[in-house]
Formats: sequence, structure tokens, C-alpha cells
Amino acid sequence: MFYENKKNLYLLIVAIFLFALNSLNIFYGTPMVPDQHWAQKIFYLHVPSAWVGFLSYFIAMISGFLFLSTKKDKWDITGTACAEIGTLFMSLVLITGPIWATPIWGKPWIWEPRLTTTLILFLTYVGYFMMRSFGGNIERVKKTSAVIAIIAFLNVPIIFFSVQFWSPELQSHPQVEMNQQPTGILIPFLISLFVFSFIFFVMLSYRKYVISINKNLTNNV
Amino acid sequence: MDLLKLIHKELRAEILNKEIIITMLSFGLSIIVIISFTSNLSKQIIEAYAPGLFWLMILFVTVLGVHRSYAYEKEFNAIDLILSAPIDRGLIFIAKALSGFIFITLMQALIVFPYFTFLSIDIDVNFFLLILSTLLINLTLMFVSNLISGISMRARISEILFPVLLFPLISPLIIAATNITNSIINQVPYIEWQVWIYLLISILIVFGLSGYALFDFILEE
Repeated sequence: MFYENKKNLYLLIVAIFLFALNSLNIFYGTPMVPDQHWAQKIFYLHVPSAWVGFLSYFIAMISGFLFLSTKKDKWDITGTACAEIGTLFMSLVLITGPIWATPIWGKPWIWEPRLTTTLILFLTYVGYFMMRSFGGNIERVKKTSAVIAIIAFLNVPIIFFSVQFWSPELQSHPQVEMNQQPTGILIPFLISLFVFSFIFFVMLSYRKYVISINKNLTNNV
Repeated sequence: MDLLKLIHKELRAEILNKEIIITMLSFGLSIIVIISFTSNLSKQIIEAYAPGLFWLMILFVTVLGVHRSYAYEKEFNAIDLILSAPIDRGLIFIAKALSGFIFITLMQALIVFPYFTFLSIDIDVNFFLLILSTLLINLTLMFVSNLISGISMRARISEILFPVLLFPLISPLIIAATNITNSIINQVPYIEWQVWIYLLISILIVFGLSGYALFDFILEE
């Protein structure tokens, strides 16, 4: 039904095509970094996943504000869809981070501030989904979920700085600043960032459709 | 005026049944006994972890006390009566947080000596600084936990949702509290740990303002 609309179908095909092309480019088109070898390739997936995760949670927060002020269901649907997609990408960050860290740092987890912030945000969203599932009255759950999305994102800088001050010896993320990266790394990275963002918007429109269909079914039962 | 009346209501309810203070105190004492057993009274473990264990105990006790304070409103449907009163709903949040601050401070005053006695900790510290910082931590703790308790209060599984939502969001506060107490006990100069005080004030402002502004949405039917 969703894909009966030709525009949605074309967007899906383009997203799959871009994802395949991006994966091939990461494997074969990017240079090997001498001291990291294949482990460095995960950076092209890890950072764009983190970008999409934080973007999703940011939109979930904005949707939360808009839902509370307008009470329009479309903002609740957007917020829920963003929370779901954000959590999916944050899971990818939490999986790819330790995979990269194991050969580079010698252990999978060292409480690095960015990863720790991601973990805490992820755990907050576990609570968000528990509220969505077991909260009871649906109208109240919509409001409390919007409030959780708002405070979860407002808490991000606080978590980041607290972890940074807590373990200053761990704050040096070993990635060089992006503007100092050679073109061979920077261009594929930017392409990957674009592809992940594109996939995010395709996923968002699909999830919004599925959630609204579910809502209509629930309302009609 | 309304705020004072609301705080008076909270204190009066507690003076009449003493439910929150007694619950928090007995639970806190039980935790101290468990800590003593699990640490084997090893002086190195206890001295290194005493501030962290103290705040961990306070966190557990807070969960119990704050949840009880809201469960009480739910049991007797008292929250609907308060909501029908012509008062700013943000004030209900402030009153809950301030009365919680009084309860937790009172409970700490009663439990601090058993804590140091049972764990055989000798401390020689600047008590003025310790008390002042503890008051600030308590106030921040109560603003955060009351906002989260308000969010989860009417959920079907509020007793589970409350800690699941609270613990990730409160982790920066626990890091700050542990570092402040640790620095005071080890007589570290203020300049080296003032950053934690600024962090606490930031948390207080973010959660205080969010709670005041959003409590209306959290409570409305």
C-alpha cells in the first residue's frame, strides 16, 4: 500500500542502490590507514550512524515540543518514528564502537564520553519505549513520551560534559578532526553521511505511515 | 503563598503518618548492612568507595521515598483534587521537590552516623563544605527525581518505570555528587572540583525549569 505510491517505491530503490554503492565504496574505494587497517573502515558506518541517531532524537525532541503545544497527532507519530529509528541507529553505534575499539584500544569499552553519552541516551529511550508499551492510558502516554523525548535530549550536553570531566584521561577520541583528514577519507565519509541521512528520511516516512495505520486500526477496534 | 500551602500539605501528611521518612531510613540502614557484608569491611575498598556507595544508597532510598510520595497521591486520588484547585501546576512540582528535599536531608542527618560507624570510616573533613555541597546535591536530586516520578506516576507499571527512566537521566548527578564528596573527604582544593558544582547547578536549572514548564502537561488528563 505504502509502496503502491510510485514516489515511495522509487525512493526505496534509490536508498537500496545508494547503500550498496556506499558499502562497495567503503570496502574498495577508501584507502587503508596504516595503523588501523580494516578496523578503520567501520568509521564510515559508525559516525554516520551516530549522526542519524542524534538527528532522530533531536527531531523527536522538536516533535515533543510541537505535540505538547499543538496536540496534533502527526507530531506524536513523527516523535515515535524518530525514537524508533534513533534507537536502531544508536544500537549500531554501540555495536560498531566496541568492534572498532577492540583492536585499536585493546578493549571494547573504556567509557569514552561520546560512546557513554550514546549509551545513556539509549538507556533513556529504553525507558521511553517501556512507557509507550506499558504506560496505560494512550492519551497520557503521548504527553509523557513527548516530555521524555524533550528532557532526554536536553540532558545530552550534561551527560557528555560529566563523563568528560569524570575521566579526563579517556576523553581523547583517537579520530583526527574531520577537516584535517585527507580527501581520500573525507569524500567517502561525506558520501556515507549523505547516504545514511537519505536512508533515515526514507525510513522515517515508512515508519510514520506504519504507525498511523496502527493507530487507525487501534482506534477502530 | 500557594507554594507554601502545598509544602505545608506535604509536610503535614508526612508528620501524620511518617511513612516516607521511616521507609527511607529503614531501607537505607538495610543497604548499609549489605554494603558492610559485601565489602568484607576491607578498609581499602570502603575508603575508596565510601562517597560513591553513600550516593548509591541515597539514590535507592530516593527512588523509594519519591515513588511513595506520588503513589500516596494516586491511591487516594488526591492528585485530581489538587488539580482541581486554582493553582499553577508547576508549583505542585516545586512543592513536591522542596518537601522531598526536606525529607531526604532529614533522613541523611539520621543515617550519616550509622553509615560511618558501621563501615568504620574515620573522616576529618570540612563539615561546613560537606553539608553545603550535600544540600545542593539533595536539592538537584529531588528536582530530577520528582520530574521523572511525575512522568511515571500514572503509568500502569510506575514502580518499574520510575527507576528505569531515572537512573540513566540521573547519572551525571551521581558522577558529580561522588566527585564532590570524594574531593571534600580527600581535602582537594575547591578550584579543582568547582566544575562539579557548576554541573550540578546546570542540572538544577535544566530540570527545575523543565519540570516547572512541563508538569502541567504531565498531570493533565
